[in-house]
Amino acid sequence: MAVNNCLKYLGNGSFLVVFVFISFFTNAQDSIVAEKPDTLPPMSRYEQRATLQAINLREDNFSSIPTRYAENKAYVSAQQIIKGLLPGTYIQEPSGEPGTDQHIFVNGIGAPLLSKKDLYNQQAVVFINGVPMQQDHPFAYELQKNEDVRMGTGTNPLAIFNIENIESVEVIKDPVRLSMLGPLASNGAIWIITKNAKPGNSNITVNLHSGLVTVPEVMPVNAAFEYNFREPFYAKFNPSGTTLMPSFLRDSTNVDYYGPANWYQSYYKSTFTYGADASLTGGSDRANFRLFLSGLKDANSADNTSLKKYNAGFFITVLPVKWLVFNSMINYTRLERARNRSIGERIMEQRYIPDITNPLTPNRSLYDKYLDEFDKSVDDNINSSLQTAFNATALLRQLTLKASFALNYDESARDAFWPTTLLEGNNFVSAYLGINQRVLFSSSASYKFLLSNDQSLTVGLNQSFTNDFQRLKYAYGYNGPNDFIKINLFAPNTTEGKFVTYYFPAKQQMAVASFFGNAGYEYRDLLRISAVVRRDGASSMQPNNRWFTGYSAGVDYNLGHQLNLDGTKLSVLASYARVGIPILDDRYSTGPVYTSYIGWPQEPTLGTYIGVPAIARPYTTGWIGYDIPWAYYNKLNLGVRLGLFNENLTLGADLYNRDNKNGMILMPVASEWGYTGEYKSGLAVNNKGIDLMLTANILGSSSPVKWTFNGNISFNQNKLKALPGGVESVEMSNTKLEIGKPVDAFWVYENAGVYSSDSEVPVNPSNGRALTFQGIQLKAGDPKWVDQNGDYNINEDDKVLKGNYMPKQFGGFGSIVQYGKLSLDFQFFFALGRYAMNQYASNRLDFVNNDYTKNLNAVKEITYWERKEDLSAYAQYNPWSDVIAYRNDQDLFVQKASFLKLRSMTLAYDLNSKNFLKKFNMFRIYLTGTNLLTFTPFKGDDPELTTYNGIYNGRALPLPRTVTFGVKLDF
Amino acid sequence: MLSHLLRYTLTLSVASMLVLGFSGCNKKLNLVPTSVVSQANQWKSLEDARSGVMGMYGLLRTALAEGNNYWLWGEFRKGQFQSVSRTDLKAVIDNNLKASYPLVQNATDWRRFYAAINSCNVLIENLEKCLADQRYTQAYYDLDIAQARALRAFTYFLMVRIWGDVPLITTSGEGNNFEQFSRTSEAHVLSFAKAELEDVAKDLPFIYSGEDLEFKFPTNYYDQGSGFWLNAPFTRLAAYAILAHISAWQGSYLDVATYTDFVINNASKANVYISTTDNLVGPQGLFAGGFDNYRQLVAFPFIKDRGETTIDGHIENLTLANTTAFAMSKQLPDVYVPKERITSLFSEANDQRFSINNTVSPPQYRTAYFENFNAEIPVFKKIRVIDGGQFSGGKFAVFNSSIVFTRLEEIKLLRAEALAVLGNTAQSLMILAEIRAQRGLSLIVVPNKESLLAAIYTERSRELMGEGWQWFDMIRFNKLLGFDPQLTTWTKNGGIYWPVAQDVLKRNPKITQTEFWK
Repeated sequence: MAVNNCLKYLGNGSFLVVFVFISFFTNAQDSIVAEKPDTLPPMSRYEQRATLQAINLREDNFSSIPTRYAENKAYVSAQQIIKGLLPGTYIQEPSGEPGTDQHIFVNGIGAPLLSKKDLYNQQAVVFINGVPMQQDHPFAYELQKNEDVRMGTGTNPLAIFNIENIESVEVIKDPVRLSMLGPLASNGAIWIITKNAKPGNSNITVNLHSGLVTVPEVMPVNAAFEYNFREPFYAKFNPSGTTLMPSFLRDSTNVDYYGPANWYQSYYKSTFTYGADASLTGGSDRANFRLFLSGLKDANSADNTSLKKYNAGFFITVLPVKWLVFNSMINYTRLERARNRSIGERIMEQRYIPDITNPLTPNRSLYDKYLDEFDKSVDDNINSSLQTAFNATALLRQLTLKASFALNYDESARDAFWPTTLLEGNNFVSAYLGINQRVLFSSSASYKFLLSNDQSLTVGLNQSFTNDFQRLKYAYGYNGPNDFIKINLFAPNTTEGKFVTYYFPAKQQMAVASFFGNAGYEYRDLLRISAVVRRDGASSMQPNNRWFTGYSAGVDYNLGHQLNLDGTKLSVLASYARVGIPILDDRYSTGPVYTSYIGWPQEPTLGTYIGVPAIARPYTTGWIGYDIPWAYYNKLNLGVRLGLFNENLTLGADLYNRDNKNGMILMPVASEWGYTGEYKSGLAVNNKGIDLMLTANILGSSSPVKWTFNGNISFNQNKLKALPGGVESVEMSNTKLEIGKPVDAFWVYENAGVYSSDSEVPVNPSNGRALTFQGIQLKAGDPKWVDQNGDYNINEDDKVLKGNYMPKQFGGFGSIVQYGKLSLDFQFFFALGRYAMNQYASNRLDFVNNDYTKNLNAVKEITYWERKEDLSAYAQYNPWSDVIAYRNDQDLFVQKASFLKLRSMTLAYDLNSKNFLKKFNMFRIYLTGTNLLTFTPFKGDDPELTTYNGIYNGRALPLPRTVTFGVKLDF
Repeated sequence: MLSHLLRYTLTLSVASMLVLGFSGCNKKLNLVPTSVVSQANQWKSLEDARSGVMGMYGLLRTALAEGNNYWLWGEFRKGQFQSVSRTDLKAVIDNNLKASYPLVQNATDWRRFYAAINSCNVLIENLEKCLADQRYTQAYYDLDIAQARALRAFTYFLMVRIWGDVPLITTSGEGNNFEQFSRTSEAHVLSFAKAELEDVAKDLPFIYSGEDLEFKFPTNYYDQGSGFWLNAPFTRLAAYAILAHISAWQGSYLDVATYTDFVINNASKANVYISTTDNLVGPQGLFAGGFDNYRQLVAFPFIKDRGETTIDGHIENLTLANTTAFAMSKQLPDVYVPKERITSLFSEANDQRFSINNTVSPPQYRTAYFENFNAEIPVFKKIRVIDGGQFSGGKFAVFNSSIVFTRLEEIKLLRAEALAVLGNTAQSLMILAEIRAQRGLSLIVVPNKESLLAAIYTERSRELMGEGWQWFDMIRFNKLLGFDPQLTTWTKNGGIYWPVAQDVLKRNPKITQTEFWK
């Protein structure tokens, strides 16, 4: 399939012709070259990089990280590598489970994150050697009853990186450079350049490491604790109600629940990680290569979770003639994830909520029996990811020509089987296959005009075409013949000894074509002016709005040089861009549509009536009209780059103002047309902020101790500027968007204590009626919610926007201290001015409604028996009240979730010297600790473990504290 | 030399790629989405028409099923059932309909009904285009339009029962920017619905793909036989049954008598018969869709073999639990009928649905409707179609029972009610006796019209328990008998209706909250 598609595109493009042509001549050339060997002047680093990348971009040291800060930490994903190190870039790591999704935001969010779809649409894109990596598509969520975990393997597609194979990582935020990357990079880009083939004697590096993942300190509790927690509520509000307590609490002689709470010994077990990687680089000036191999296992001590990764990369550079460079990359990664065994994720996949009134027991022996049942289960999650790229660059004096072809192909496969013992006597099987494929062609020509001795003008023409294809196939079935047949022999009914099946295919396709011209004017090394004009077309846009014109311009002025400052570098930059943001979903491209969705959120896959396929307007997802324009962003950036004391102190500052405009959002319409809403364009969100970056060599060069300090801090503030149709505010299901307010706020009632008696409830003097909550009379034991509009009825009009789930300040800092061969480095990561919605506390306190409700929020995991927070600190409300006293949406549960973390500390020692192990360029041993310390005012366990939109539910696995020992060789 | 040639070629190639790229790209950007059908591609063929028709039915089924709303509206509100421990269901049962539970909020939102109505309107406006397909004949077109109009009328009737005044919309409104309408009076909506149904009833067949004496219906409707369709699409009898109910709600009992007469006299033409008690409560009985079951006169099935098994949307989801006779992992139901109510309602001996035989020790009770009667919380199991009704246990608690609006027994009891009101006591009593006999009960003697109506009301409460009639019957009979002064007041001041959801009010400022719920 993939190959077919690939060939199809190859046939279409003229690329193949060019490539074959070139290969032919290269062969002929070789014989000539052999007769007259010529020595090439070594290429500069800039030139090397230029030939490697699909698009040439200038480097900016002020937004890149020295990779050594991320080395020797056994990080497995791109997000973990850059976390806290890149200015303006905020990483969410919502769970410590190895290989699960993490999120990258550059300079804030351009739209509210109302759903996973919005989250996907706000992610920065990662480029490998100039080729944008494809993300998973959120369409899978439409087949799910719940958005918590994506169907399929749920593996982080960016977990394919290994820092040992990375040359540099940079965040692209500068408008001009970003505009060159086009619409796919509209949320910012993470620019990763891999280590590449290099000429020279064969060079081998080897890195071996192994780590111990420690068991976190937890406070296990049993049913007596829960009983004692609930008892005061019963005593105060429902004295006779203890008989209605759920059965696991009622009987205090039941040792299963009231016995020892030693479950944690089976749930948390210290475990090992290991990894090995090696590279071989070498070859002649005209043909050289790099081979990289690695294998590792990352693990968490909680719930026996791990990620295994096998990676092979091969890079070749060939110069058939000295002005022509071929680069190729083939990189393959296989990821195997051992997932958690939580009940919630399992029953979410099963789409069947069994009786959940009684939780698992805190007793270890019973819990072990439960875990033993997983021996009969199958839970394979395998991702295979292939990145290939070919570049041909011709350096013809002032003319540079480039042609690139890239193919990314990801396949994720999941097979699951759970035996009858785990689901009320029913077994379950499912199979998932997901395919993401991206084909990219690009070509460019640029010419440098030398206008005079100190002026030059470079003009470039570029073209690129990207085709994305995404597909999933998912089938599941219940009640196979027994627990031994674990494969999916599907049939319409069980009589043939097979599973009854439900099958869902889904597909998305998208193509983006771009053309752009860029020009750069340079005056000595004093002034540089650059400009880009581009035109982008996307298949997901409607035909009459298919193309968008973007542009950018920037100035870079070397003030230090102008003022002849000695030992000081100072330059100022300003740039501005407008670039289109395409819709990343193909169903908006044709205007009004029909879908087969006639079910409801609990039954999202019902698409037939009496078995006959049905079709209807998309009432549940929303009306799609005509004339949907491109969304776009305008970004202005002002920067200062300062280097003092011969660059022993460098400081970079970027002040930005970004307006995302014409965003599309589902706006409510009158219910009488049947729609949940109408997709309308006109959302405008402003992000302002400052990104600061600092590096300093603190001790002088004469000192035997070298101390390098690095730090970055980013300030970000978003604000809603406009809504479609010019309205002032709009209420969504759980939130409200209001012009002038941040888009990431929580929409909540304000708490002001508790009514201790009925007489305390204020009475409306005009009609003598007491204060109500949505029409329900408030009573003693109900919370005092502030009646904002003074109408003596608390309803959604009295909710206010509070807090924000994106941090206002974030960044990281650390140091490398070196003394001879011994070095110590540590890195802190912080996010400040951030809030979380403590759903965990709300759920525990609202036990009355949660004990008997059949939904995923009410599922009691084994960690129900872990005390994560002191709940007695909350005001005591009547949990039986019809007003739902412990409802989520009140500011009681909007809590400060700022944190500062000591993320890593590494001690390294170089054993090699002139006399000892002298064959080695490097022989380093190191000891690293990760996730070491957390400082936070947050009430729950770890404030970082919230969902993308700031909900802390206490279900995430803790970030593992790992101590790793490693050896690194280079010879 | 060669190098120059190469250089030249390369330059040319890149240049041509740039040019080619410009010209060929627009075509490559025309990708057809596969997950949706565009307006231009729908309404072209017989299959498009069929999907559209099924869409309307499916959406109305969703409106009734989501959140088990059908039973919240008709069965639980001030009904026989009690909540075991769920506070949200308790709020509905206690008529506390402004409570902020998501369940209650969801039940007061009429958007899903309007989705069904809009899909009817869209179909009515677009279906003509399908005639371009030779296979899609005028007969198909007429029948499908008749169904759309009947379904739309029925939907309006269902809404009026719940909310009273509702906006009457008969266009798709597409291109009109989602205009806002205010509420239309209940009387107007009902007369619209009645007129529509009277108009289209004759255009609906007694049986789909069945014998057609009028020579006006498609012979093999969408290539499926009558055994496939059963009574799932609206038949002529369905239209008249609905007309009878609209008339009853209006209080026009003369019309009720006429329409029910038509249904009862023609029942055999649609293979509609009365069920035995065993057949009523059997796992593959009346409530199971498919299985050659024509007895669901107006119903919305979920057929297992056709992949429509769900968890939500069935009363079983709330009423079933483990019993001594039927193992399930759920230990207690969400709602139950308390023992005292069971014994007072099913007070007559030999009632096949439920009765206690005290002559033996220990006393025996019948289990057609209830199991676990000896426990504190009995289980209402009249409707129990678990996993296709093919298994003797309920370990896999997914359901396939249809949402049955009416069946022949119900129509007969409605006729008895109408005749009683009209003073034809003898015939009314005869019909009542017929239904009672079917359930093993003997003849009764009633002194007057009121006690006859009371007997019919009691019989309805027993026969139709769990089928979403309790609340509406109570209103209707209270109008006739006046047994509940509070309900009488509510009938006058709109308290019998449900409040309109906050969300609906917010989206359309022209909609006002029902006076009673302000």
